[in-house]
Amino acid sequence: MASFDVMPEVQLYQPVELGDALNLADELGEDGWLLGGGQDTYGWLKDRAKNPKAMIDLTGIEALQGIRDTDDGVEIGAATTLREIIGDARINRDYSMLAQAASRVASPQIRNVGTLGGNLSQDTRCWYYRRGLDCYRAGGNTCYADGPESMNREHAVFGASRCVAVSPSDTATALVALEATMIAASVSGTRTIAADDFFVGPDTHITQMTSLDPGEILTAIRIPSKWAGQRFYFEKVADRDVWDFALVSIAAAMSMDGDTIGDCRVVCGGVACTPHRLTNVERAARGQSLGEESAEALAQLASEGAKPLNYNHFKLPLMENLVRRAMRG
Amino acid sequence: MDLAEYKNDVWGQEVLRGVSWDLLWLVIVAAFIAIAAHAIYESTQKRGDRPSSEGERVNRHDAFDRAFHWVMAASIFVLLVTGVFPIIGLEFAWLEIHWIAGIVLTIVVALHILRSFTQDLSSMAVGPGDLKEALDGTTKPGKYSPAQKSMHAVVTILTLVVIVTGIIMFLEIDTPWWERTNEMAESTLGWVFFLHGLSTLGLIGVICLHIYFAIRPEKLFYTRSMIKGWISKEELAANHDPQRWTPDEST
Repeated sequence: MASFDVMPEVQLYQPVELGDALNLADELGEDGWLLGGGQDTYGWLKDRAKNPKAMIDLTGIEALQGIRDTDDGVEIGAATTLREIIGDARINRDYSMLAQAASRVASPQIRNVGTLGGNLSQDTRCWYYRRGLDCYRAGGNTCYADGPESMNREHAVFGASRCVAVSPSDTATALVALEATMIAASVSGTRTIAADDFFVGPDTHITQMTSLDPGEILTAIRIPSKWAGQRFYFEKVADRDVWDFALVSIAAAMSMDGDTIGDCRVVCGGVACTPHRLTNVERAARGQSLGEESAEALAQLASEGAKPLNYNHFKLPLMENLVRRAMRG
Repeated sequence: MDLAEYKNDVWGQEVLRGVSWDLLWLVIVAAFIAIAAHAIYESTQKRGDRPSSEGERVNRHDAFDRAFHWVMAASIFVLLVTGVFPIIGLEFAWLEIHWIAGIVLTIVVALHILRSFTQDLSSMAVGPGDLKEALDGTTKPGKYSPAQKSMHAVVTILTLVVIVTGIIMFLEIDTPWWERTNEMAESTLGWVFFLHGLSTLGLIGVICLHIYFAIRPEKLFYTRSMIKGWISKEELAANHDPQRWTPDEST
């Protein structure tokens, strides 16, 4: 496949009103490409692996910017940069896990321009797919990452259905743990989608990573006050400390009653096509105290049901260790 | 409109990817045009009174054969919904339901084939005489009319192709019994997908026609016989040659 250092010829729309962007998205449908910080986009386009006719730049729309209080928590505009989130006092006070997750995305340069909406909506990094091969995810009839000689060290251990790609988003893991809801707008109106349902697996949507339909724009992310100021744990393990995707990450939100865990949500990234909730760990953790003993017991549950591929068995003990570290207190 | 879709394999060579699903709409439109044409033609024909379903009855389909028909119909319906709906944009977790229905269809068809050897195979065999019989309006058929035999032959071929290709595709996914190997050459896999898709499209067209004929007023007694097993002696006399089909009268 040819690779270029220059962008292909593509129309660029830079609306400043959300209504205009929605009309454009509706008109262009699958020929249009929503552009946030462009950090996922430009690679696709330069490689000519995706060839939209037009891009709709969302970063000039004021309604998609900023962090604001709501009656029940906080709302973050989808075009808010990761740097703004990392530096926001309210986020750091109440939802420090999101700031932490955002601070582990890629590199400072990318975080300066990368948006929260873009980070959540980015495509998978499976290199067979990114290289432009005609795999299941690209509408084909095979998976190149799950063959006898396939390199699948970074791929899924849960939820694979023909395609074994994983979600690359760090903030997605944190937002699923925080029970965020996504606001999606189109010319027909607005709908809210629970973060659990926003990310979709290959069993239902093999060619897309989110439940956004063509013509829909992710406008905002709301985080409920339920988890404000609770106990959080976020950790990302990657080959490099900077500018790398998670091999496995963990985001845990726990409401504590003294030293006892009340409600909790534990989510792993890098192990499935969607942020993967460890519901068995969550169930077992409720009513337990944080500490070495419970951490050890809960860690054993982390990889239950995993189906590793040829080269990613290491993700299982890695998940277990991350749960152990999250629950040690 | 293309018959097939192509892709580049991992070596950059163009290989078959599968059938072109644009054909789906062509098949549906063609089936409905054929149905409309037949319905218009039939409406211009003068038919006598339909034979009564009252009176003495004869057996047309044994319970096992009826059960086979409806289980096969249900499994094909599930297979079509789970196979085609995601292609036309109605997304849901279809794969597991699809292969489970495929297993059901395969088992039922295997049983049907085995059972057919204990039955009068010649009553369903299509031959040159059927064409003559179809064109000659005065000859009454045996147990099955030329149209029914032709429909059965087409469904048999399409179902066997869809089952064989389906089994090959089944080996290419993870199941509770094995993990896929992904070792099949992409060009071979393309042919498997193509034949599976093409036979599916054929089945969609044939099933549209089958359902249409099953609910036509003059054919409703056949549908009833596929539910209850019997037809009346009057229906037998009006539609079949007793010299060529002697049904069981012990219903």
